[in-house]
Amino acid sequence: MSANTENMPLLKVEHLTKEFPAEAGMLAGRLSKRVVSAVNDVSFEIHEGETFGLVGESGCGKSTTGRSIMRLTKPTSGKVYFQGHDIAKMNRKELKAMRREMQFIFQDPYASLNPRMTIGEIVSEPLTIHNVGTREERMRTVRELLDVVGLNPEHINRYPHEFSGGQRQRIGIARAFALRPKLIICDEPVSALDVSIQAQVLNLLKELQQQFGTAYLFIAHDLSVVQHISDRVAVMYLGKMVELSDWKTLYNDPHHPYTQSLLSAVPVPDPDVQKTRERIILAGDPPSPIDPPAGCRFHTRCPIAQEVCSTDQPEFKEVAPGHRCACHFARRFPIRESHIDL
Amino acid sequence: MAKKSSSYVDLKTKPVPEGRHLLEVDDLKMYFHTQDGIVHAVDGVSYTLDRGETLGVVGESGSGKSVTAMTLMGLIDMPPGKIEGGHVYYRGESLLDMTEEQMQHVRGNDIAMIFQDPMTSLNPVYKIGRQVGEGLRLHRGYTKQQAQERAVELLRLVGIPNPEKRVNEYPHQFSGGMRQRVMIAMALACDPDILIADEPTTALDVTIQAQIIELMQEMQEKNGNAIIMITHDLGVVADMADKIMVMYAGRPVEFGTADEIFYESRHPYTWGLIRSIPEQATDEKKPLTPIHGNPPSLVNLPSGCPFAPRCPYAVDICHEKLPEHHTTETGHYSACHFADDPEFVKFAPDTSRSRGKIATGTPDTLDDTLKGGEA
Repeated sequence: MSANTENMPLLKVEHLTKEFPAEAGMLAGRLSKRVVSAVNDVSFEIHEGETFGLVGESGCGKSTTGRSIMRLTKPTSGKVYFQGHDIAKMNRKELKAMRREMQFIFQDPYASLNPRMTIGEIVSEPLTIHNVGTREERMRTVRELLDVVGLNPEHINRYPHEFSGGQRQRIGIARAFALRPKLIICDEPVSALDVSIQAQVLNLLKELQQQFGTAYLFIAHDLSVVQHISDRVAVMYLGKMVELSDWKTLYNDPHHPYTQSLLSAVPVPDPDVQKTRERIILAGDPPSPIDPPAGCRFHTRCPIAQEVCSTDQPEFKEVAPGHRCACHFARRFPIRESHIDL
Repeated sequence: MAKKSSSYVDLKTKPVPEGRHLLEVDDLKMYFHTQDGIVHAVDGVSYTLDRGETLGVVGESGSGKSVTAMTLMGLIDMPPGKIEGGHVYYRGESLLDMTEEQMQHVRGNDIAMIFQDPMTSLNPVYKIGRQVGEGLRLHRGYTKQQAQERAVELLRLVGIPNPEKRVNEYPHQFSGGMRQRVMIAMALACDPDILIADEPTTALDVTIQAQIIELMQEMQEKNGNAIIMITHDLGVVADMADKIMVMYAGRPVEFGTADEIFYESRHPYTWGLIRSIPEQATDEKKPLTPIHGNPPSLVNLPSGCPFAPRCPYAVDICHEKLPEHHTTETGHYSACHFADDPEFVKFAPDTSRSRGKIATGTPDTLDDTLKGGEA
């Protein structure tokens, strides 16, 4: 690839917006103008070798963001640059070359492996598609990969149903690493797993990152998992990015009231801490992404919302170097001191 | 409110016999006879529960925590299930000896259950009001009108806005969190003595999870019912449970008060569970310590301690002999051969999560020993 790669981020997302027609069917969008605003004006960068965490509740647009980057779905507007190249302008051939550098790990280890293929075929498929090596070389690579992810290479001819959930996720990881990509988008890779197995898979992802220098876009709803694995973390709410910073700042000094309440809602496995710490319990459900609230999208549930919040959209501005937040009153009304009425 | 009561006497009005507990589960065994062999789904579960108490049942998938609850509700199909032993006493009455007709009075009336998935446990073709009021019509002989009125009150109680209108809507018109509230309203309709909640918040987002847990606690304070909270998340039971039972491969491996389980645990599986949870680190991230391997198949259980193949401390005896329950004076038990060994329990998770009461030494000397031991 051309251009200087010195200071260029590996991935650059600019004002990404994705809307889906609210009505399903062939004529949807032609008959009705109602849209689901899944992702709205999201911008961020991922650098080589780093883990960028994207966290939020269901329906906040985190998965759609991941899928738009991979161009599994086409963004409505906005730009995605991978290694300096605009992915919207790529033709099929370029897209294929790009996907060699960018792979995906899916949430459901039961649905993301073809039950009729052996794990050897599954893990070697990316190599076959991209014509890497001869058949024998590919099989050798597959054995090495299985060994690296902690599976027995002799099981190369077994089928997915013979493996447990955690082992299947390891197969998915081996497949993602087959082409030694620069970036892997991990969409909820551990949320379907039991906690003891979850820790195994998280450790494996960290080890592989150290070994191969791969960058991760790590999408999850579990804050403690995201914090554990990420260098930088972005929080999304209803299609908008509300806060972005390095992990330490985000967890020690969250500015946005949504981040604060999200952090306080995570149950801590320690009765002493859990009984004494301050908890902010948000009222109500997230609103529908069809017709999202005007102004700040969080204002309907925000404990410190003022009048301006329902009319003016807050800017996603830098509050400290590398720390951005979209709130009119970020830190000016620290939520812990304000009165929270349910 | 005027109501026609059936000839049946509510069990929950019966006093708990002297010296007994509200619910006593004693060495309960539920096996499934399948083509592949006998599945030891629940193998010797014992606990007691009193009014106003919350019991947390923690374990990974397949550890038998749901089957235990379903067994005492009489919701397991037999066959393939078979009760191979044990007793369940509710206010001194044996639940396992009751006829199906008697159990129908118990279910929903004395003991009610909230299921994990609010999407599939509500009937999509009936209005919410009918489903919430069903128990009242069945157990209390309410008329349609009375049941509907009470359903509105219940929906208001669990925090559903605009209940007069919502009561006439169908489940698909409710969000996930709202459906779980409906499930709670349904379970609380007949003021049950015991509320069994099977992973009630697993399908929900964390901000909604916090709402639901708070609601369950409020309702408990108001009604004084007991709660059995089944979950895979130790965090969920940390502040709400009085007692916790940790299950592994169909067996309870440790039982004690919440403090005992979190700060004075005496079983390596509990340690493993605690260490597997990513900490909310504020400064430095510590690597996770996963439990190696996978849970065993319940058909071919390893001989000896079921956790031995994954236990980092296992020695010969662990693979040969099934450990007994080692119980302290406070009733805290651990199914580990070495639970009573003061040197052994020093391997428990380090002081960052404990209050330094693990070892037998005085708190002052303890910190040093532990730091030395962990480094």
